[in-house]
Amino acid sequence: MHTQASLSRLDSSDRRDPRLISWIPVVSMTFALLLGAFAIPKDLSQEFPDYHSYDELTAKLKGFAKANPTLARLQSTGKTLGGRDIWMMEIGNSTGTPIGDRPAVLIAANFEGNQVGTSEIALSTISYLLDNYATNDAVKKSLDNQAFYFFPRVNPDGAEKMFAPLQTGTSTNSSPYDDDNDGRTDEDAPEDLNKDGLITLMRVPDPSGLYMVDPLDARLMKKADPKKGESGTYSIYWEGTDNDGDGFYNEDAVGGTDINRNFQHEYPYYQRGAGLHMVSERESRAVLDFVIARRNIAAVLVYGPNDNLISAPNSKGELAKAEGINLFSFAEASLSEAGKVGMFSTQTQQFFGGGGGGGGSASPSGGGGRRPATTVATADLDYYTTISKKYVELTGIKNAPALSTPVGAFFQYGYFQYGVPSFSTPGWGLTPAAADSAKSDSGSKGKDGSGSDDKPSFDKKLADWMDGAGIDGFAAWKAFTHPTLGSVEIGGFKPYEAVNPPMSVITEMAPKNGEFAVYLSTLLADVNIAKTEVINHGGGVYRIKAEVENAGFLPTSTSHGVTSRSVKPTMVQLGIDPEALLSGSAKTSFFQALDGSGTRQKFEWLIKGKKGDEIELKVVAQKGGTDIKTVRLQ
Amino acid sequence: MKRFSTLLFAWTALALLATLSAPVATAQKASDPQHKLRLDFNRWHDYGELQQDMKLMASTWPEFLTYSSLGKSYGGRDITMITINNPKTGPELEKPAMYIEANVHGNEIQGSEVSLYTIWYLMENYGKSEMITRLVDERVFYIIPTVNPDGRQYFFEDTGGGARTGHVPVDDDNDGLYEEDPPNDLNGNGIRDQIRKYVPGEGNYRLSREDDRMLEPVPAGEKGDWVLLGSEGLDDDGDGRVDEDGPGGYDPNRNWASDWQPNYIQGGSMDYPFQLPTARAVNDFLISHPNIAGVQSYHNSGGMILRGPGAEWQGVYPREDVAVYDELGKEGERMLPYYDYIVLWSGLYTVHGGFIDWTNDGLGILSFSNELWNGGQYFNSPKLQEQQRDEDNPIAGQQGSYYFDDYLEFGTQYSEWTAFDHPTFGKVELGGWSKMRGRIPPRFMNEELSHRNMAFTLYQADQMPKMQIHKPVVEKVADDVYRVRVDIENDRIAPTITQRGAENNAVDPDLLMLSGRNAEVISAGWVANKFRPDATDLIDQHDLKRIMIRNGHPGRTTRTIEYLVRGSGDITIAYESLKGGDVKTTATLK
Repeated sequence: MHTQASLSRLDSSDRRDPRLISWIPVVSMTFALLLGAFAIPKDLSQEFPDYHSYDELTAKLKGFAKANPTLARLQSTGKTLGGRDIWMMEIGNSTGTPIGDRPAVLIAANFEGNQVGTSEIALSTISYLLDNYATNDAVKKSLDNQAFYFFPRVNPDGAEKMFAPLQTGTSTNSSPYDDDNDGRTDEDAPEDLNKDGLITLMRVPDPSGLYMVDPLDARLMKKADPKKGESGTYSIYWEGTDNDGDGFYNEDAVGGTDINRNFQHEYPYYQRGAGLHMVSERESRAVLDFVIARRNIAAVLVYGPNDNLISAPNSKGELAKAEGINLFSFAEASLSEAGKVGMFSTQTQQFFGGGGGGGGSASPSGGGGRRPATTVATADLDYYTTISKKYVELTGIKNAPALSTPVGAFFQYGYFQYGVPSFSTPGWGLTPAAADSAKSDSGSKGKDGSGSDDKPSFDKKLADWMDGAGIDGFAAWKAFTHPTLGSVEIGGFKPYEAVNPPMSVITEMAPKNGEFAVYLSTLLADVNIAKTEVINHGGGVYRIKAEVENAGFLPTSTSHGVTSRSVKPTMVQLGIDPEALLSGSAKTSFFQALDGSGTRQKFEWLIKGKKGDEIELKVVAQKGGTDIKTVRLQ
Repeated sequence: MKRFSTLLFAWTALALLATLSAPVATAQKASDPQHKLRLDFNRWHDYGELQQDMKLMASTWPEFLTYSSLGKSYGGRDITMITINNPKTGPELEKPAMYIEANVHGNEIQGSEVSLYTIWYLMENYGKSEMITRLVDERVFYIIPTVNPDGRQYFFEDTGGGARTGHVPVDDDNDGLYEEDPPNDLNGNGIRDQIRKYVPGEGNYRLSREDDRMLEPVPAGEKGDWVLLGSEGLDDDGDGRVDEDGPGGYDPNRNWASDWQPNYIQGGSMDYPFQLPTARAVNDFLISHPNIAGVQSYHNSGGMILRGPGAEWQGVYPREDVAVYDELGKEGERMLPYYDYIVLWSGLYTVHGGFIDWTNDGLGILSFSNELWNGGQYFNSPKLQEQQRDEDNPIAGQQGSYYFDDYLEFGTQYSEWTAFDHPTFGKVELGGWSKMRGRIPPRFMNEELSHRNMAFTLYQADQMPKMQIHKPVVEKVADDVYRVRVDIENDRIAPTITQRGAENNAVDPDLLMLSGRNAEVISAGWVANKFRPDATDLIDQHDLKRIMIRNGHPGRTTRTIEYLVRGSGDITIAYESLKGGDVKTTATLK
């Protein structure tokens, strides 16, 4: 029976399945009981003792604002479905030019729920700025003349799962979503079968499986390559049971949408985790509404699992290929068919009559109109390269942790649609132990003849890094008897350890990340009226000359910002009655982009006036500030 | 004896009835049937008048109609809707629904009158026409006469003759100010006139020798006496430019989430899909009403029955969907003279992020958009058509318009050029055509336009899917094991789920459910042809008591499902479809 409440795809309740309807409350109650009544096997927050839960984060941000009233202001930009605030902290000396009229850097983190470390990095950057304002000239100059907008935790609902007793490692928010489109929402979440408090993986001996044990590291798995004579012997799933009996394991977990797949550039239409449509989520809308209303944002920096700073875009403007955790993608691949079950042929049945043909059908041909850009414009590349080089120099990061391919990612929106230089970095790196590093780098065939020519996988680099850094981030495979799969092993990378650094790494990186943020703010365009001149031609006719200069490093608009018309042209306006203008430049002139490092643009007006008149000359650069000068006719 | 008395009684009753209904019979000698409510469809309604008529209808037919609001426009006006539902034939959300909207572009007004007419016609003819009665009983209608109330009101009460936009402020000229230099009605005639200036020997236009109301471009090498200076307006903000930042400045029909593109690819798209309060309100409504199986969005003009895709790079629709669209669209061409059935990008222009692309791709709803009124309809006299094609006459096209205005609209649609002293342009003349012509039919032709377009939309509504399930055939094949065959039918043209909707997981799958206290399903499969024994195509799903049919049931098709069931007693087989309705049947295993 349909009811209004249960029909929507966005609704959490279940449609038309009496079995599940009775099942869900029982299970959630059981969970609740488990959580409430039983001791957790071990204190799981131990791994990240200094990470901030939502309440702790809120207290910390409020503390910043309270302790630094002229430098830091906290604002909620919206509430999540879970009722948590999406905090924005504005950092900048509030005396002097209004913050909204200064060029600013937006720093945002923790779009993916599991990337809580990036949120800690954002907090450490805020701390760096506030702590060093009084003593560090560069920081002081930055906060006096520019500003920062911080979104330290865009996805607080997702992040909070890190602080729950059961470590799921989910990257989404909490919006209910029918991931496999079977008419039931959130009905097949993973379970912690072996009660170690973690959702890890199951590897199952399976002659038709696609995976085999990695010969370089018995903990790890690789995809068998039949062309090399390898055969798969395992299938890999997320840990848990097939709650809805559809043959897939854990294909419809609680939530949701990955906020960093929910923005408008290269949006992954109709894919898992991307949400119902672009900007469908409260979190993405809160961030967008904020940046759209603050066009003084002149650069974007995201801390997250995408990178264009450790590796700059190549000469074609393309990003380096992202390497992620194979074990996780193997498990995820087991779900890829879940949304396709039940497609039947529409042709074999008894039709009572034919439909027409032709008529309105479109004839495919070439062309198709202008397409949106997907690579960094050639004219902008040098800026990217310079800034990337500086980033690596300042931070020393060479090996990124697990990355994902940006589709619908916020930082890509920042450049391709918002039109400003936009960066993403995890903010930390895998620093391999010396010996392993040598081994990984050699990449040559084993000298003893026994080795394969396989390059170490990303998983191997991650495992080696954990070993070297003494991080207990891999749950050893342990036998388990699964109710439907039989003998399996449960283990794999721990969900949060796999993608987050220990606090010691963040603390060590804090000054470097802080210094880079300050560096970025000092690069922004800085537009001023460098020179004015008045020439009296007699008879009340005057010539006014002016030169507008960009003293910053970045241009007033990226080349793509001009192409995409997303950065307003810089406006130069002479404060006179239109009728007093005799010739020359228009009363209101615009120019598209002015390079930095002291590049100038000249203007000249012939006007009618009288001696002693004071005329205001104004230049407004959306990404480079405002300057006003008064010229006097004499 | 008994029979006789019955007959007698019948005769008496009939005579009595004839007497009682005498006045009615007299009235119905005229062509116009007895109406419960009289409304005019040869006039244009501003926003307030639309609401008045909607409320009036809702109170006239309260058992069927509900008047409600989906949300508010930026200007604070309600986006109002009439729901047509007969509660006696089932709850609203369990019946397939037809969604009808109009006027997303502020200046494309006549779809609102078509919407009003549709509500009125369905109600007036319920119980009179068997077809209309069945439609109202089988379907639900959601009708929103204007989804851009601010744009509509601006069209009527201000100078917004050509304004497609809504009224969310946009800084069109990048000066940091919003809507500070709108068009101005300088001579107060309620029209945004054209401005022309007399510049003897320096212009590029001259007065036509055939009709001095008309300007014609001068031939190459000659000089004219006139220049055109655009539309009526002032430099309100003193920046030296006229009318560079009026209300809004975007296209409300480019703010939808399928193939949405940023402004530099698709002008007027805003910053992200559903940023506009009107688009968001409508989308929230559509998402929470998955029973909607048909969409019609009325625009003007050109005489088109449009379908997606809006852009070539979206590729072609799946073959199955094209066949359905083609059949409906071609029927529409027969019902609507002067209208062509057209694919948006190839027949009109490219649209990214348009409404019907989203409803088709993102929500899996068969969607049309009719461009109401074809300018050719002014000129259905062959002589006038011939006159218009005179290649030697530069004003041949215009002459037809003047002819129509002079002889059929008695000069009401044209304002003569009159002198005006313009603060920026000096001495000029203002004049030109009324905003009520060109894209909008003459009032006296609007009832026909409304009726024909309604007829097409009702045809689409009638061809939305409608599921039926037939009586199962039970056959014992072993101890406790039965073969159960059931025919499942959809006799309409549209499938329960479009192929595109299924590919995009845009619609919850249809469900085929078998339940019984003591029934275990051993297998289930589709019978290729029940009259010709052949292999049964077994369904490879884990839960055969709840079979998912992701791409739904095709149109005009009967499928036979074959179960092997172990058990005894009664079983129920149900087919549940969000867009095709829910049906069920029972059988006994014996």
